[in-house]
Amino acid sequence: MKKRLLVMLLALAMGLTLAACSGGEDKKPDSSSSAPTASPSAGGESAAPAESAPAGDESDLAYVKDKGTLVVGITNFEPMDYQDANGQWIGFDADMAKAFAASLGVEVEFSEITWDYKVFELEAKNIDCVWNGMTLNDEVMAAMGTSVPYCQNAQVLVVPADKAGDFENLTSLEGLNVAVESGSAGEDAAEALGAATIPVQKQADTLLEVSAGTSDAAVIDLLMAGAMIGEGTSYDNLTYVLNLNTVQGLESENYGVGFRPGSDLVEAFNDFWAASVADGTAKTTAETYGVQESVILD
Amino acid sequence: MALLEVHQIEKHFGATQVLKDVSFELEQGQALAIIGSSGSGKTTLLRCLNFLETPDQGTIKVAGETLFDAEIPAARSEAAIRKKRLHFGLVFQSFNLFPQYTALENVTLAGKLLAKERADYKAGKKQILAEIEAQGRELLAQMGLSDREKHYPHQLSGGQQQRVAIARALALRPDILCFDEPTSALDPELTGEVLRVIRALADQRTTMVIVTHEMAFARDVADQVIFMDGGLIVEQGPARAVIEHPREDRTRQFLSRYAKN
Amino acid sequence: MFFASAEFQTVFAALNTGFVRTLKLFFITLAGAIPLGLVISFGSMSRFPPLRWLTRLVIWAVRGTPLVLQIIALYYVPPLMKLFSWGSGESGRFTAVAVAFVLNYACYFSEIYRGGIQGVPAGQQEAGLVLGMTRRQIFFQVTLLQMIKRIVPPMSNEIITLVKDTSLARVIALQEIIWMGESFLKGNQGYAGLVWPLFFTAVYYLAFSGLTTILLNRLEKKLEFFR
Repeated sequence: MKKRLLVMLLALAMGLTLAACSGGEDKKPDSSSSAPTASPSAGGESAAPAESAPAGDESDLAYVKDKGTLVVGITNFEPMDYQDANGQWIGFDADMAKAFAASLGVEVEFSEITWDYKVFELEAKNIDCVWNGMTLNDEVMAAMGTSVPYCQNAQVLVVPADKAGDFENLTSLEGLNVAVESGSAGEDAAEALGAATIPVQKQADTLLEVSAGTSDAAVIDLLMAGAMIGEGTSYDNLTYVLNLNTVQGLESENYGVGFRPGSDLVEAFNDFWAASVADGTAKTTAETYGVQESVILD
Repeated sequence: MALLEVHQIEKHFGATQVLKDVSFELEQGQALAIIGSSGSGKTTLLRCLNFLETPDQGTIKVAGETLFDAEIPAARSEAAIRKKRLHFGLVFQSFNLFPQYTALENVTLAGKLLAKERADYKAGKKQILAEIEAQGRELLAQMGLSDREKHYPHQLSGGQQQRVAIARALALRPDILCFDEPTSALDPELTGEVLRVIRALADQRTTMVIVTHEMAFARDVADQVIFMDGGLIVEQGPARAVIEHPREDRTRQFLSRYAKN
Repeated sequence: MFFASAEFQTVFAALNTGFVRTLKLFFITLAGAIPLGLVISFGSMSRFPPLRWLTRLVIWAVRGTPLVLQIIALYYVPPLMKLFSWGSGESGRFTAVAVAFVLNYACYFSEIYRGGIQGVPAGQQEAGLVLGMTRRQIFFQVTLLQMIKRIVPPMSNEIITLVKDTSLARVIALQEIIWMGESFLKGNQGYAGLVWPLFFTAVYYLAFSGLTTILLNRLEKKLEFFR
């Protein structure tokens, strides 16, 4: 509800500006290809579209099928969503998203988003789902319709390799400056362990902080740490030492896919996932990207 | 019938009345000098004639045609005024030449823009523009500025700039040419060349209204003189008579202050 | 040779793609804001008080809030309020960002214009009126060039700022050059953990702002024929 209030406030301020400026500037018409009107089968299209709530459409599935495209909100996140040398999106999540779209009979479109605004992006219908190694924390579960967990993850502490010994067996991060991605699960973990956090825009930026010595350590996803630091990267001077979930005595985190609240796409995804596990395509795809240890295959 | 008839003009700026019941007439081919101290209303009167200010009361007629009547607000629309102003030309104290145009362009610009409104403009464009250019050159020659046609205002002395401004005002062939203290912004050694040009215009029987502080010049060049004080015409009459033998005390005081300076 | 390496070629191509978006945003902003700013400046000098107050209120609101906030609000609020959508994908983001930039810069430009117009002596207008020119003729034939001469130095400052401000567009994931530079930190087209592309983007900004400065100085020189 707090978020809704914030949106209303923003809208009020901007509405004022828009209304005042509209004399000089054309209002952009709805883009015809992706106008957020309900599909005919949805039936519930009201005369004043401004009054229909985000989840008020009868069927999100029908909406996506009607426009023929599933827009997948991602950030660049190896090994889940990243571009190959030809600029095509690949990765475990990207490949599964392509298969999911195919199962619905629609095209897939990947749209890079700013992670902090993922809920806005969904509700504004700029994207239809967030599918990017998203940790299912309380905040995400409250704001989105979320799928069954499909992958396990943990938060790890990244430190300079030559100082790795100093960090082993720590039970608290008090007195340390720790770089985290703003709004990430890693930020929560670092704060819970008493670190002074330095929030930056991207997980990748946290590594720059540690490498440059402006932060003592960083907290990022285990999956990402596996791909981005150590031998063969620009960060061969970094290593990861602690599983913060273990330190906190928490269970592993789960990755899930986020849809609009109340969307029937959740159910469609869950069915798709169960089928993919059953016929082995999930496992094959996981092995392609070396994440079979983390993906939940039972 | 007089060429210019000004009748009972009144003007207020807020609560201050700057023109009170101003009436005078001017015959074709005569020069009228308006004298008086700063704040006496003489510049405002000139600006009223040129529609830069709108009088609150009174009428202005040229050759019998009513150009302004305070009773008829409808006649004050921008478009209606624009044509009427062309009966008058105005030379400003601070020249107000257009800095991005050469001397010749300054003189011909307005004429070229007005020519576009002529019915035969499309057909005879080349010839019309050539005529305007030729007339502009002639006017500059008359001002003794033939060799300055292509100069920009900032490359000219103050006296030269004011002579270009006079040529510019003459280019539209106004019935009445007005001067607002034409030499006040000039160094003393440059006033002579401008006064000589105005004197030459008077000799050619150009109808003129000249607001000036040059008493000797007013006496020698003008046919009529009006002395204003506090927004009123205190005294008017033949130039030599008013300046050499003023009847009113206030005129006498004003002139004696000038004689001392 | 590093500049011949596959790594450099890949990064270079990606940065170029991002820089084309940066340039597109830059030129669209100028093309929209330069004339719109003039319209707004007329509004802020209107002889009709309600229009004047309204325009000044808008200018105050736009200049008084950060551009980055305007971009976020303009992109997300209309679809969230079910007013209209910008369309999905790259083109929708670009349209929203472009509208935000045009509006923002038009308001800044309008204040510069206002200063420029009001700085032209009233005598210029009066001289035009006395010569029977229409207000339109006076503006275009007399005032405009004098105003341009006055506003070139402050406009140059704003335009150089605009070159750099385009980087704010990445807040809603418009993939301009800095976004592309950062993408190689996280991993892009087979390269991950590369730090240098981000800093290499400075070369583009420096080259472009250098070129812009030279052109604007040349314009300033061109207008020196009068004072």
